[in-house]
Amino acid sequence: MSPQSVASNRTRGLITGVALAVLAVVLVPSLPGIGAGLGLRTLTVAVIYSLAAASAGVLYGRLGLVSIMQVGLVAVGGWTTLRLHYATGLPFEVVLLLAALVTAVVGTVVSLPALRLSGLSLAITTLMIAGALEVIVRYTGFPNGGPGFVGRDATGSGSTMPRPSLGQDDQTYFRYVAVVVIVVLVLLWWLLASRPGRAWAAIRQGDAGAMASGINTTAYRVLALAVTSAVTGVAGALLAANSGVLDPVSFKAQQSVLLFATVLIAGAFSLAGAVIGGLFFYWVPQLLNTWGVDGNLVFVILGLGTVQAITTAPHGIAGQLENLSSALRSRTGRRVEES
Amino acid sequence: MNLLPFVVAGLVIGSVYALSGVGVLVLYRTTGVLNFAHGAIGGLAAMLAWQFIENGLPASAAIALCVTIGAAVSLVFGVVAGPYLGRIDELRKAVATLGFSLALLGLMLYLWNDKARRLLLPTSLTGFSVGNGEAHARVNLTQLICLTLAIVVVTGAALALRYTAIGTAMRALASDRELAAVLGTSVRLVENAAWAVSGAIAGISGVLVADQTRLEPAFLTFLVIPELAAVVVGRFRSLGMTMVAGLVIGLVQSLVSSQPSITAFSTAVPFVIATVVILAGTRRRTVTIGVVRA
Repeated sequence: MSPQSVASNRTRGLITGVALAVLAVVLVPSLPGIGAGLGLRTLTVAVIYSLAAASAGVLYGRLGLVSIMQVGLVAVGGWTTLRLHYATGLPFEVVLLLAALVTAVVGTVVSLPALRLSGLSLAITTLMIAGALEVIVRYTGFPNGGPGFVGRDATGSGSTMPRPSLGQDDQTYFRYVAVVVIVVLVLLWWLLASRPGRAWAAIRQGDAGAMASGINTTAYRVLALAVTSAVTGVAGALLAANSGVLDPVSFKAQQSVLLFATVLIAGAFSLAGAVIGGLFFYWVPQLLNTWGVDGNLVFVILGLGTVQAITTAPHGIAGQLENLSSALRSRTGRRVEES
Repeated sequence: MNLLPFVVAGLVIGSVYALSGVGVLVLYRTTGVLNFAHGAIGGLAAMLAWQFIENGLPASAAIALCVTIGAAVSLVFGVVAGPYLGRIDELRKAVATLGFSLALLGLMLYLWNDKARRLLLPTSLTGFSVGNGEAHARVNLTQLICLTLAIVVVTGAALALRYTAIGTAMRALASDRELAAVLGTSVRLVENAAWAVSGAIAGISGVLVADQTRLEPAFLTFLVIPELAAVVVGRFRSLGMTMVAGLVIGLVQSLVSSQPSITAFSTAVPFVIATVVILAGTRRRTVTIGVVRA
């Protein structure tokens, strides 16, 4: 395949993806059953988590780095958002960007030492961070307008953060979230398609080769950690604004493991996989719950699914969908040529 | 403030970390699989031990049964997934066990609701006092068993790796899997032995640590974090360093949790210690060119 056709294929993929996403954003709130109430709120959270899934997916799929602390970083982003909101009262959009920045710094600093060792060390260290963050968040709680640095009023008289003015009710907030997610994913896509993306791809192929072609591997690894942490921070900010308060129960270490598992199952090599991963992480368990399936069995299914995905189907569901679509395309293409 | 009880508790938990760390290390050196499911296997053994004792089985029989089950669960995973795991790189091997631990955790949460439970071994009822006056602590028999078992298993593992036939085979696999196979080492047999041994170690550690701390599936599953920290400090190869690291992590954790102002940060201790050791130890990242063997 010539370089031009790779590029045009990529662009076509982007246009299709964005078109499908926009269509979903327009249609979903008007669907009966799903488009309102609990169904829509669940879907909103699932869409938010697709950002966290995308960041884990980019790290694993593009650089071969395993980071098992994404849900912990979502908590960092959410905590920062709430803290900044009560401290400054700035508009939500500004707070969101600041939270992304803070999360980027936190995520990079904690995982940097492990990068000096093997990829296995990063996996272990990030799991340790997920475990530590779980307990620290449970101890400090999330800010609700209380006094002090922690900003938590434990008496229960705390307030909630209002939603952004552009997304007051459930439907408009769903659209607000979807627009932010699409913008962030397009930015990520652009990054992957340009110079950093190519450098990351070279690093994944092998350190020696990347260095030989003049790539500063350390700098590009740090860039990847910063970018993905910032994306996760955005997810935290959106989640904080969704309900105005956050509950430490949602940020256990096993949630981070679960998110990584869903990313692997859904496919870490494409951003479509990230969106599917977000749905798997939050929407499917809720759906099964309403059908009367015990939520804990989802852990079993997704856990075994991970083992299967990692050993035999490395491209995940998104990869299989891609194969399907290219198979269909080549078939219809041949028919056109024949006629 | 009397710190001695915290020192005792820390050393005991630390010895279980050391014990588990050695189990993880033996499996890692033999098969290349860093087992994130080690804690989950221990958790399953502990939950089953509680269930069996609840159903009227004598404690000794229940423990023996659970250690066997731990070994069996680990062995089954090794036998079923082992051939596939042999073909992928170390990072993905580890991630596969992460999936396995998630599955085990889900199974435990499904079978046992999150009601508070307590696993109390009969050996925890007898004990003796150490120290006198203000600084004293009570040491029970289970705690003594933890410490002795850790020392016995670490020295036993070191000796077995050095002097027995299967230990030699394990070291051969650790240094070069393909070459060992060419020289006639039965790779599958040795690997399965490592899975079973590490599963048994996971089982006994799980039962002991559940008695000493909490009987809670998620808590026991994520005890793999300090255990892996011990392995990181041991540089993924040294049994002795892993043991020392386990003890130190347990001790520091316990001492941090004794101070009310910083008690919440005791879970961050494994991360801090491992990070400090990584920062202090590595000069430069070494770049190696992997050779793909078809």
